[in-house]
Order: sequence, then C-alpha cells, then structure tokens
Amino acid sequence: MRRKKRVEKSVCILMTLILVMITTPVSAVFAAMVGTEAILVNQDTQNARDQLRSFLNREDVQSRLTTRGIDPAEAKARIDSLSDAEIMQIADKIDQLPAGGSFWGTALYLAVIALIVLVVLELLGYTDFI
Amino acid sequence: MVALSCKAGFRIDLNFLRCIAFRFKMLTYCLSAIYSLKYDRDLFKAMPDCRIYSWFYYLPFFFWIIISLFIGCAGIKKSELPDLPENLPPTIELDAVPFYPQSDYQCGPSTLAMALTYSDYSITPEALQSQVYTPARKGSLQMAMIGATRRHGRLAYPIFGLNTIWPEIAAGHPVIVLQNLGLSWIPIWHYAVLIGYDFIDNTVILRSGITERKVMSFATFNKTWARSGYWGLIVLKPTQLPAIAREKHYLAAVFGLEKSSRFQAAIDGYQTALTRWPRSLIANMGLGNSLYALGDLHGAEDTFRMAVKNHPGAAEAYNNLAQVLLEQGRKQEALEAAQRAVAIAGPMSEVYESTLKEIQSEK
Repeated sequence: MRRKKRVEKSVCILMTLILVMITTPVSAVFAAMVGTEAILVNQDTQNARDQLRSFLNREDVQSRLTTRGIDPAEAKARIDSLSDAEIMQIADKIDQLPAGGSFWGTALYLAVIALIVLVVLELLGYTDFI
Repeated sequence: MVALSCKAGFRIDLNFLRCIAFRFKMLTYCLSAIYSLKYDRDLFKAMPDCRIYSWFYYLPFFFWIIISLFIGCAGIKKSELPDLPENLPPTIELDAVPFYPQSDYQCGPSTLAMALTYSDYSITPEALQSQVYTPARKGSLQMAMIGATRRHGRLAYPIFGLNTIWPEIAAGHPVIVLQNLGLSWIPIWHYAVLIGYDFIDNTVILRSGITERKVMSFATFNKTWARSGYWGLIVLKPTQLPAIAREKHYLAAVFGLEKSSRFQAAIDGYQTALTRWPRSLIANMGLGNSLYALGDLHGAEDTFRMAVKNHPGAAEAYNNLAQVLLEQGRKQEALEAAQRAVAIAGPMSEVYESTLKEIQSEK
C-alpha cells in the first residue's frame, strides 16, 4: 500500500514536470538589433509565437491577393510595404473593405430605376407585358 | 383631422432627435387612425362618407415608409456647416494639382498619380495600375493606395475627420478622399482629390473621375465622405510635415517607408520628425536602424549615442549601439553598452542577453 502510494507520488511529480515543460513558451531569439516596429507598437514580448503569427498573417493576405488576380510577386511587394498592425486590419476582410472605383452600384441603381419606370407604365396602362 | 396634422407637421429640415420623435408620433397617429377606422364603429358611422377619407388616412403612412426606407433619420440632420479655423483664407484652390482623367474603375490609380505628381514624383495612372488596382474587386483597396505611396518613397499620412482637411488644403497639400456616392447599403465607392474649398459659397472643389473641376456642396461632400468614416490620405515628401502633425501617426507613416525598404526616404522622414519632436526616442531609433540598414555604421552609432544621451533608461538604444559597435570591431565599447542594456533590462531582455553573449563569444 505504501509502495503504491510512493509510485503514485513519483508519477504525479513526473507528470507535473512534463506539463510545466510543455507549456513554457519556446522563444528562439536570433535578432541582435531591436527593430523599430517593436518599439513603435510597444510589444511586450518579441517571442517566436508573435513572429509566427505575423508571418502567417502575411502569408494569408498574400494568398488571398493572389487568388484575386494579382501576380504573386506583386502581392508580396504589396504586403511588404505594410506594417504588422496594418496587415492585421485587413487580414480577413479583403472582400468587405471598400474598393474605390467599382461601379456595380451604379448599374444596380439604374436597374432599379428602370424597373420602377416599367412597373409604373404597366400600372398606368401604357404597356401590357405582365 | 389626423391626416391634416400628419401632413402639416411633415417638414424636411428637422434635426435628428426631433425627426425621430416626430416620425414616431406620426406613426402612432397613423396607426391609431387606421385602428379607429377599422375598429371604432361609432367614429366610422359618424363620418358622412368613409370611403373618401380612408385612403387619405393611409397616405401619410405610405409616405413615411417610402421616405424612411431611402433617407433614414441621419440624412435629414440639419447640415452642420464646418467651422473655418482662424488664419485660413476663406477660399482657396490648388489649381496646380495635375489632372489625370480616369478610365473605367481606375479612380484609385488616377487620384494617386495626381497626388504623387504634385509631390514632385512624376508618374502616370497606367504605371500605378498594377500596384493599386485589384481586378477581382474591380477597384482599389485603401491599403494598396497606402502601400503604393510608400513604394514610391512618399509618406502616406492619414486624415482624421472633417476639420483637419482645411488647414492641409491651406498649406498646399491636396487630400485623396474616399467617398460613397450611393447609399450605405448600396455603396458606390469612389476616390477623388480634394483641391480647394470655398467658405463663402459653402462648396468644395474636387478632381473627380473625368471632371477636372467638380464643385460640390458641403452638405453633399459631408454625406458622401462620412460614409467612408472620413478616410483621407495626404501624400507628402519625407522632408515635409503635414499642417496638423501628430507624432504617433507621423512616425507610423515614416516607419511604413522603412518597412518598404525605402531607407533613404525613411532617414529623411525621421530627421524631419526630429526637427519637430527632438526628444522622440522612436524617431532616434528608427533613424539609427535605417542608417544601419544602409550600412552607415558611423551614422547609426552617432544616432544611438544621441538616443542614450536623451533617454538614459532606454535599454534598446544601448543594445543597438552595442551591435553597431561590435560590427565596427570596437569590442570593449560594445561590451560596455551591451552590459548597460542588460542591466537596465526591460521587455526585450532576451534580445539584450543574446547580444551580450554574442559579444562575449567574439572576444
């Protein structure tokens, strides 16, 4: 009975140690210079997870741009000129953000007006296609 | 009587709260009129000829539905004319801004070409098209406009709100604005360049689409620009400051140049920032980092020394100074600086320690 308790206790300690080791963040620090962006946004840690996340965001935005008809090298150049904060802003929203110049709205307005005019003509009896 | 009060009370230029209250009141009147017609038999019988009045009572209700659908209370707000700050001329027009008429869907490239050419960087909309236009969206995204500005070595400084544009125009900086020329639920997004205002006639002047000189009333301009959240952009040379310069936003704009690897332009920008905010740590660090990126170790060293002089508690400045000294072969000074950085410590302690280890292993 006592022996079983001792085994349990040592297993418990071992499991605790393993849990602690797994959850400790692994930070691979390689840069010797502190970059301007780190100071600009006052980041608390520049660990590998944050770097990985911003890298993935950039990959994500780049692939989205490429599927929307932009040459991959051009897409990379576009996202390389934006800071991490700006990439975060546009990461999931490329289709919802306003794109200046699109005039599909005008076509819709014209279609609606045409429809109203046709309905009115129909009701007034000038035409009879319904 | 109900119909009369509905129609007589309906005016177009009410302010916001009165509008909502009035509409609510009108709706309850109309509903009660319909209710009384349907369910109040005595009232019904009292009217000599009910059929004449019945459509009359429904009419304001239909007016109410149609107008609410299209305008909404915000649109009926009394148009507030902006205040002109002191010391600004009442009318101004920057007619030196060049005009590039846009082709289909290309208002982004054409407005950016106008702004860039005005800031002494000659370029045509066709050259910008590949950098600004997104074919799948049949238009240009705001971030692409900002990115393209930076790639050509110019500062992209954002604009906030209606009252910041007047000093900028007066200072000779045209503003690219994003307008929604349609309704909020059927948008027609469009870029235009604001080149002038007229506080006597209450109009603004734009280069828009294929119109070289488009005169728009304040009210319309305010409504169309408000729908984009008053998003605007000024294109500046890195040696220029905007008329209303906020340190954080200016430095973020200059950092954008550094990020796009336009290091010489970033150096100019940080130096301009230092003329305005001489004690800015971020400007010093950015300048040092940009000089380092161009390989100017002496210049970077001088800048970081200035940074530690102004900010003795800035560990990151000591760290970068140590790195620059190490690369120049001055190991003893590098070691001292790195030790200072580690001693001060801070959020980036891991980087400081790694720098120190690197220097120690070089000896």
